[in-house]
Amino acid sequence: MDTASWGIAAPAVGAAFVASLVEVVEAFTIVLAVATLRGWRPAVLGTLAALAVLGALIVALGPLLDRVPLHLLQIVIGVLLLLFGMGWLRKAVLRSAGVIALHDEEAAFAAETRELAEEARRKDASMDWIAGLAAFKAVLLEGLEVVFIVIAVGAGRGLLWPASLGALAACVAVLAVGAVVHRPLSRVPENTLKFGVGVMLAAFGVFWTGEGLGVEWPGHDLILLAFVALFLATGLATAALLRRPAVAAPR
Amino acid sequence: MNILADVARELVGMFVADARLSAAILALVAGVAGLIGMLGVEPLVGGGVLLVGCHLILVEAAVREARKRRS
Repeated sequence: MDTASWGIAAPAVGAAFVASLVEVVEAFTIVLAVATLRGWRPAVLGTLAALAVLGALIVALGPLLDRVPLHLLQIVIGVLLLLFGMGWLRKAVLRSAGVIALHDEEAAFAAETRELAEEARRKDASMDWIAGLAAFKAVLLEGLEVVFIVIAVGAGRGLLWPASLGALAACVAVLAVGAVVHRPLSRVPENTLKFGVGVMLAAFGVFWTGEGLGVEWPGHDLILLAFVALFLATGLATAALLRRPAVAAPR
Repeated sequence: MNILADVARELVGMFVADARLSAAILALVAGVAGLIGMLGVEPLVGGGVLLVGCHLILVEAAVREARKRRS
C-alpha cells in the first residue's frame, strides 16, 4: 500500500476500531447485566440473534453500494458522516468541558440490572425471554452504529474489508478483556475515544462530501490527516473555552 | 414493534442529535453545492467554505448547548 493509500486506510481502520470499541463496551455492559441476572444462555442467544440481523443487513446492503454512482455515494456518505461525526464531536466537547456528565459503565450496568430485576418481579414466567431481548436490543442498536461507521469510512475507497477487520478487532479485544475481568469495562476512557472518533468521522465527512461535490483536495488522501488535526484543535479549543464559566454562561 | 420503534429512534438519533446542528450542516452542504454547481465557484474554494463552515457550526452548537444547560 503506498503512502497516499495509508493516509486514508489508517484513519479508516482506526475510526472503525475505536468507534467499535466504544459501542461494543456499551453493548457488553448490558449483555453482562443480562448474564449476571439470568445466566449466559439468554445473553448469548440474544447477542447471536442480533449479530445475525446485523450480518443480514450487511449482506443486503453490501451489493447495493456497488450500484450507486461513486460521486453520489461520496455525497450521501459524506453528509451522513458529517451529521453523525459532528454530533459525536459536539457531545464529546460538552462532556470534556464538564457541561454534560461522562458516560459511566458501572452506573449503566447497575441501571440495567435494576430494570431487569424489576421486570422479573412483574413477569416471572417470561424472564429469560425478556433478558434475551434486552441483550438482543443492546447488541442490535450499538451494532447499527458500528455497521454504519464501517460502511461510511470504508465504502468510498474500497476499504470495507480493512474497516470491518478494525471493527472485528475491537469486538475481540472487548470480549477478551471482558471474559477476564467479568465486570463492566468502566476504565475504558470512553469520552476520549468518542472525541477521537468524532474528529475522524467529521474529517472523513468533509473529505467525502467535498470529493462528491467535485473538489480535488490538495495532497489527495493525505489531506485527511490535516482535517483530523484541524477538527481536533477546534474541539479541544472549544472544550477549553467552555470550561471557563464566563463564556458558557448565558448573556 | 417496540424493537422496530427503538431501531427507528436509534437511527434518527444517530444523525439528528441536535436538530439545529443537523439543519446547519445540511444548509452548508446545499450552499456549497450551489456555489460550485450554479455560481461556478472554484470547487477547491467551495471545499474551503465547507471545511471552515463545519468548524464554525461545531463551535456554535457546543457554545449554544453549554449556555442553555448553564442558564
